[in-house]
Amino acid sequence: MDKLTENKLFESILSEYKGIFFKVAKTYCKDEDDRKDLLQEMMVQVWQALPKYNSDLKLSTWLYRIVLNIAISYYRKNANRQKTHQIVDFGSTDFADIQENESNQNLLLLEKFVNELKDLDKALIVLYLEEKSHLEISEILGISTSNVATKVQRIKEKLKQKFKK
Amino acid sequence: MEDLELKQLWTSYNAKLDVSIKINQKIAENTTELRVKSLLGSMKPTKIALIIFGFLWVIFIDTIIINTFGIASVFFMVSAIIQVLVTKLAIGLYIYQLIMIQQVDTSEPILITQEKLSSLKTTSLWIARISFLQLPIWSTFYLHNGLFVLENVLPLVFQAISTFTLTYLAIWLFLNIKIENKNKTWFKRLFDGKEWNPVIQSMELLEDIKEFRD
Repeated sequence: MDKLTENKLFESILSEYKGIFFKVAKTYCKDEDDRKDLLQEMMVQVWQALPKYNSDLKLSTWLYRIVLNIAISYYRKNANRQKTHQIVDFGSTDFADIQENESNQNLLLLEKFVNELKDLDKALIVLYLEEKSHLEISEILGISTSNVATKVQRIKEKLKQKFKK
Repeated sequence: MEDLELKQLWTSYNAKLDVSIKINQKIAENTTELRVKSLLGSMKPTKIALIIFGFLWVIFIDTIIINTFGIASVFFMVSAIIQVLVTKLAIGLYIYQLIMIQQVDTSEPILITQEKLSSLKTTSLWIARISFLQLPIWSTFYLHNGLFVLENVLPLVFQAISTFTLTYLAIWLFLNIKIENKNKTWFKRLFDGKEWNPVIQSMELLEDIKEFRD
């Protein structure tokens, strides 16, 4: 892949899949500053991995793997890592938390419940809510499709129970 | 709440994302900087510095051993040899960690990558285990045959007690610093601190990965 194609592909990834970056970052990182740092890390890793991208793999599968891997690893980074000198400009990005009003009540609840899950369960439920097939989830996570089905069912039940309360 | 409602709720997230991101020109121009700034890249400089420092220390101690062989006391010689061997093992583990960092591919499935990263972090515990093995030698390297006379009985008793205590402690720590003991009070106290938190979290994640696969 030449430089120009790489740049174009990267730009299209950012515009087409920016929701993936932001939703995963929001799921794994509550602090706004840390979230910006995490988002930058995700973008840097995607950019660096681009030359090795194999088109046999679905672009979204490849992207979810990187973004989720970085989000899960992020908490183990050195807390003293320099945050100055941001490479990515976030422009007019709205990082504000969702306002608590009636229409957002359920969304806030969902956010809260997902936040209570373990890191690997979070990844699974994010992929489920993003309407990924069991096959794609299994390819992203590296577990069997039957295992995906069992786990999704279990977490879904948990979520439903929480909403009932 | 039904499946569809949950998914619709999640989709409404998109509407909340009023985002426009533009990438600084540097991202296309300066990949070296990106590599240094990256999560995995940031783990390398400390390890490289420790390896260099370790090599210099090993050269220093090896030189002393070679130049004082047959002259220095047997206690000093044995202590120095044990110390240098322990340091060499620790350097070996740091090199292993560097190789592992190179092999981490974030585009691999989550469980594979996370298992590699967590195993990489937990090898730091092995470095701690091995390093504790050198504890007793800090109570023996200054000994020499001249000290073993009747007049020194009392200091020699204290010496023996401290050496045996340190030896026992070193072996006990070597055998007991392991994931299974991460919830024990002594373990938490010993590995309390910012630098150890990622290792402890990695140990927990390794357990989660195991559970997730079952």
